[in-house]
Amino acid sequence: MPTKAAARDAAETPATESAPAVLGEPILRWSARAHSIADIEAELARIWAAQDLAIDSDGEKIRHVAARTSVMNLVVVARRPELAERCAATIQMLTGRHPSRTIVIQSADPDGPSWLDGRIEAHCIMPSLDAPEVCAETIHLTCGGEAGRHLSAIATPLIIHDLPITVWWPGEPPLKSQSALDLLADADRLVVDGSTWSGDGLERLRQMAELVEGKRLVVSDFALARQSRWREAIASVFDDPDFLPYLRSLRRIAVTYATHDDTGASGSTNLVKPVYHVGWLASRLDLKVVKPLSTVTGPARQPSAGRVHHRGGTVKPAVGRGLAATLSDGRIEVAVVVRPVVSDMPAGTTLRVELLAERRGSELRTDVTAEAETVHVRVWQDGVEALDRHFRAPRRGEADLLAEAIETGRRDPVSVGALQMAAALVGPDGVGS
Amino acid sequence: MVTTRRPTKVKTKDPAPVDAPADQPIPARPAPRPKDEPLTIKDVRLSREGKRPSRAKPATNVLREGLRLERVPDPSILVLFGATGDLAHRKVIPALYHLWRTNLLPHEFLLLSIGRREYDDEAFRAEIQASLEQFSRVLPLDDDAWRSFAERIHYERLDFDDPKGFDVLAKRLGELDEQHGTRENHLYYLATQPSQFAAIVAQLGRVGLDHEHHDGGWRRVVIEKPFGHDLESAKRLNREVGKVFRESQVYRIDHYLGKETVRNLLVFRFGNGIFEPLWNRRYVDHVQITVAESIGIENRGAFYEQTGASRDVLQNHLLQLVSLVAMEPPATFEANALRDEKVKVLRAIEITPEDVPNDVVRGQYSPGWVAATQVPGYREEPDVDPGSETETFVAARLMIDDWRWSGVPFYVRTGKRLPKRSTEIAIQYREVPHRLFKDEGVEPDANLLAIRIQPDEGIMLRFGAKVPGLGLDVRSVTMDFTYGSAFNVDSPDAYETLILDALQGDASLFTRADEVEEAWSIVDPIIESWTSGQAPDFPNYDAGTWGPPEADALIERDGRRWRRI
Repeated sequence: MPTKAAARDAAETPATESAPAVLGEPILRWSARAHSIADIEAELARIWAAQDLAIDSDGEKIRHVAARTSVMNLVVVARRPELAERCAATIQMLTGRHPSRTIVIQSADPDGPSWLDGRIEAHCIMPSLDAPEVCAETIHLTCGGEAGRHLSAIATPLIIHDLPITVWWPGEPPLKSQSALDLLADADRLVVDGSTWSGDGLERLRQMAELVEGKRLVVSDFALARQSRWREAIASVFDDPDFLPYLRSLRRIAVTYATHDDTGASGSTNLVKPVYHVGWLASRLDLKVVKPLSTVTGPARQPSAGRVHHRGGTVKPAVGRGLAATLSDGRIEVAVVVRPVVSDMPAGTTLRVELLAERRGSELRTDVTAEAETVHVRVWQDGVEALDRHFRAPRRGEADLLAEAIETGRRDPVSVGALQMAAALVGPDGVGS
Repeated sequence: MVTTRRPTKVKTKDPAPVDAPADQPIPARPAPRPKDEPLTIKDVRLSREGKRPSRAKPATNVLREGLRLERVPDPSILVLFGATGDLAHRKVIPALYHLWRTNLLPHEFLLLSIGRREYDDEAFRAEIQASLEQFSRVLPLDDDAWRSFAERIHYERLDFDDPKGFDVLAKRLGELDEQHGTRENHLYYLATQPSQFAAIVAQLGRVGLDHEHHDGGWRRVVIEKPFGHDLESAKRLNREVGKVFRESQVYRIDHYLGKETVRNLLVFRFGNGIFEPLWNRRYVDHVQITVAESIGIENRGAFYEQTGASRDVLQNHLLQLVSLVAMEPPATFEANALRDEKVKVLRAIEITPEDVPNDVVRGQYSPGWVAATQVPGYREEPDVDPGSETETFVAARLMIDDWRWSGVPFYVRTGKRLPKRSTEIAIQYREVPHRLFKDEGVEPDANLLAIRIQPDEGIMLRFGAKVPGLGLDVRSVTMDFTYGSAFNVDSPDAYETLILDALQGDASLFTRADEVEEAWSIVDPIIESWTSGQAPDFPNYDAGTWGPPEADALIERDGRRWRRI
């Protein structure tokens, strides 16, 4: 263990930025490097006591009034440098809104000796002309060798106590690994993007549902959050008192998704988003899984003439017929189909959600599609077009989704229900064939 | 949002069955009771049994749970009276546009604009577009959203004094309901001169536009302030409105109640465990509420001459804030429970004309400087009598005679041409009972909780802290929460909140008839005392100052002072 003096020597001289802040724009006010957790802690203490943290005012250095603000700890586990940079940029956009102590951890050279390189920064933002700057710290850590595998040991000493801990894990979180379990044991919220997971992503989805079951950990999945515009559009159909009775009489849920794989082979495309649609609907309607998702065999079904087309590009049916499952509300069964269509859209993107409901001999068919800026809803009652609506609902960016995840302070029962139902659809043994 | 309306459908009957279990015997009716004997609760309950079948709960759209709105407004027509006026163009229509733009209005929504001037739909839409380009809080306008919103705007010329015009209106509404599937749900918004409220309401009643239908088709009326000119006129207006609409159909709007921070006041008080125990006479020394405006009367001389600060702000905004600060926790967050508690506060405030010279101060501004600009005095403003006795400033010391607040003064003040625009509620706590640090440096001020309503909405708590060092100096420091920097969400305008509430039938943030009357019963004696007393020595404060010296004396008499804002 190095002495404090030695640690100070090891740390590089901090750099400070004395330019006056621009209203609403984050500015880097402090930057230093350190090579041990103790050095980093020392640097963090120095930031707020530093006489150097001053700004130029008419050629004169004056002590700058800045308020250190932290509403939470945000731990980002980014396995690749470019991912770490992207996350840091997103977080910086939230400095004024959600100032946090952010710890970005990336690992390097896992087979080499253990080492640690830390960059400590303070970003400040001036929320209004008559208010002091609001500042928050970001600690960029790169850990080599064995050290990089002990995430909890790296993050825990740097956490501000009594503040909630959010772990943002872009990429592929190894949810079964001891390292992840240790880190998440103290966390309040896990933020992931299930739509970026490799393969079909469903096994990891199931693991995530297991992870949160009965625990205080709350999960925010960008893949599910992005679908809120779909959910609003689908829900709007049943705001109509004439259509509401059909809601409890669903017979079929079909979700069409984009694939780049002509064969439509299972596992070739991420299915998290399409399965979330079914999970959300089924959980809201209190349906139970009778038969989990399994691969549909046989020749590909042609899409209904004149109904499957997407402005995003050309589409044609994939060779595979996708997945099927059966749900039930105890009275009637609901067929579920998750089917691929070859499309120019990013693989795994939902292209269409179709609902079929039958009630007292009457049929209601709902068809929802989405573009970058709008969602389109059409409804046919007994074969007659009853509704044709466009909602203006732009696709949301990562900063908005992260802000939403942070702002949702509580456990959201709708998300939990959708996740658990999605996991139940996947089944304990994964998607069967 | 673009919608193609479906062809008119045959209505399906309500599927909900009457689900009284078949095997459950209907209890025998109790024996008839002699007429002169009073009924007990048990009698009432027994008499109901067997008569009233239990109703199936209406089905709800479970897919709405967790979305922005758990219930969307019903398809409806908003009938805007005074659609060519300033309020409609600056506030009401921009609010509707934003609700539409963010998909918070039903698809089957229409705005039927009513005014005296001659327009066709297209000309009126063009005028609205120009107004939105000036007053919309999000610019530039979203072309798609505007186009689809504009399709829903219709104009009807109507002279409010012409009964025939209302017959035409009834017919037009029937046609629009039929064509657009708005299900005969009408929200009448009266953004006209107050003098026309009663006449419009009476005509709506005459042509049957107030009638609600059993199977849907609600009718509501939104009435803008000022609601009456004094207690008598408020009662008269309530009576006139009550002849046509039930109280549950009436939404009296005070836009202050739709402001985010005002609504947050309820959450702050009743959603946090640590403040409410300290919210009473035992800990609070006094309360100060300031509604300060830096602007003058903005070309509204004729209007302001008839109202003054007491009618314009004290009777509504200020007393609403007082009642929200002082009310007891309601049993539920339901409109009537909330308003019951607010009314109790107003009833506990008593001012007699004899109290007025001691407890109320009025003022009128003379020329001065505000925000580095020279401004004229009130009497030099257009449409103002050069010898006007109208007050542009009022400060009062109110006592709430109830268990919680007995002996705690509420100092309120409002005025035009004050140094800055600011609305704030300050809860000044008592000094600590024993001054432990009195010999050590500066004694800290007593704790203070300030709730800023505008601008820069937020909450500030002041407390003492030790100054770092070897000594034991104590200094006051503040913990400051600013709404804008803590939440990403774009706060809706108060009108957006209130119009959406009215469309959803939630009257929590609207003022009830008895609230209005109670508020007038506080303000009436003040005005009466001024009218019958000596002429005021106006003007008595310079524009750009915090009111007349008497306002300072009002609070300094009690050994306190106004907060420096």
